[in-house]
Amino acid sequence: MSLRAWGRVVLVLVLTAVVQVGILNGLVVDGAHPDAFLLLAIVAGAVAGSQRGAAVAFVVGLVADLFVLTPYGLSSLCFVLVAFGVGAATALPGGRAPQSFRIVTAFAGGIAGSLLFAGLGALLGQPELPRHQLIAVVVVVAVANVVLVLPATGALIWALKVDSAPRELATTTGGSAR
Amino acid sequence: MSTTRRNTSQRLTLIILILASISAITLDYKGEASRGITSVRHAALDVLSPIQRILSDALHPVGDFFSGAVNYGSAVKENEQLRSQLGVLRREALQNATAEQQLQEVLNAEHLPYVQNLSTLVAAVISGPTSNFEDTFEIDRGTSSGIGDGMPVVAGAGLVGTVVSAGSSTSVVQAITDPGSSFGVRFGTPGWVAVAQGRGAGYPLALSGVTATMTPRDGQIVYTSGITGASLPAGIPVGKVSSVHYSGGALTKTVQVVPVADLQGLSYVTVLQWFPAP
Repeated sequence: MSLRAWGRVVLVLVLTAVVQVGILNGLVVDGAHPDAFLLLAIVAGAVAGSQRGAAVAFVVGLVADLFVLTPYGLSSLCFVLVAFGVGAATALPGGRAPQSFRIVTAFAGGIAGSLLFAGLGALLGQPELPRHQLIAVVVVVAVANVVLVLPATGALIWALKVDSAPRELATTTGGSAR
Repeated sequence: MSTTRRNTSQRLTLIILILASISAITLDYKGEASRGITSVRHAALDVLSPIQRILSDALHPVGDFFSGAVNYGSAVKENEQLRSQLGVLRREALQNATAEQQLQEVLNAEHLPYVQNLSTLVAAVISGPTSNFEDTFEIDRGTSSGIGDGMPVVAGAGLVGTVVSAGSSTSVVQAITDPGSSFGVRFGTPGWVAVAQGRGAGYPLALSGVTATMTPRDGQIVYTSGITGASLPAGIPVGKVSSVHYSGGALTKTVQVVPVADLQGLSYVTVLQWFPAP
């Protein structure tokens, strides 16, 4: 990735931090709110693939960890794993990405990311959320991801200058359609 | 061949990023590096705080408008309830004056700090928690206003949390309902002591250490204990006992406490300028 692309990623990250801290933190439903940083990590895996996506997600996690009290690096670890998983899923035959696939990925990634964060936090001795609240977090994050995935995808496609058009099956599998 | 190479490269990247994340976590647990990370966190919050204030000022009236429109009926009913409660509270205040005096005498005798002797600072709440896995909020005052880590934060009727990260112009407050929050409390006429623990936003606190011989009652007020080395001063109302469960033969009772302060939709809080014992 070029330095210019990283510069655009940083710009998107700053905007995400403002939106998260200034707006999304206040949209609380049943004690949970949307998580724009996790969504950005998921979208990074979907648009940039597992390798570049995981690298972008690592940086997203480092920024996200500035605004929380959990151990520094915990979000990075979680986001890297989620982005890599999403990238690997989109590379599967037929996986690459009409809009509906991106929406499904954002939803599933929201569930997986929230549960993974809770699990890793528990491993590191962080206080555990009661089950009912964990369920609320998972549901709110996953649903909010579905609502916000398109603007987030647009922002990262612009930042990374990747092809926004869905790739053909033949391209991803390495075979020929003819 | 190239697919194999690409897969190897991908796995290598993943391992490097995982190791980098684990290194960051390890550094955060170490003294010196942890202080550096905390400084960076404070700086990030301070940079964003002007934007947060603007957005908070801009969005609060919009939120209040919609909330008022949607909840008009319940607001009228709530007003009536509040008027009735005000009368009851006025009467109780008169009754409590004597008890207050007695409490003050006991606390003086035990050389415990008392809340009413502390200087205070009013702060506006500018943001909720960024993580869904903690129950915190941010206030618009920091070390430049005299706020420091460990100071208790109250609102209305009682304790709402403790300052856990004080930056220069903003601070993060851990709510008493945060699952990581625990502190000593006192209740009942003999002054039983127990530990209150948060169980998540919107849920009552759990008291641990309530032995079978203690007899907490529903509605009993629970205060911070302020015993030697406590993280909070004595005498701050925390909550009311909402349920007591005891299975015969058990060594302890399960007690839940509902906070007396309304932790949902806080706009302004008061910081008590009290430092915990080192």
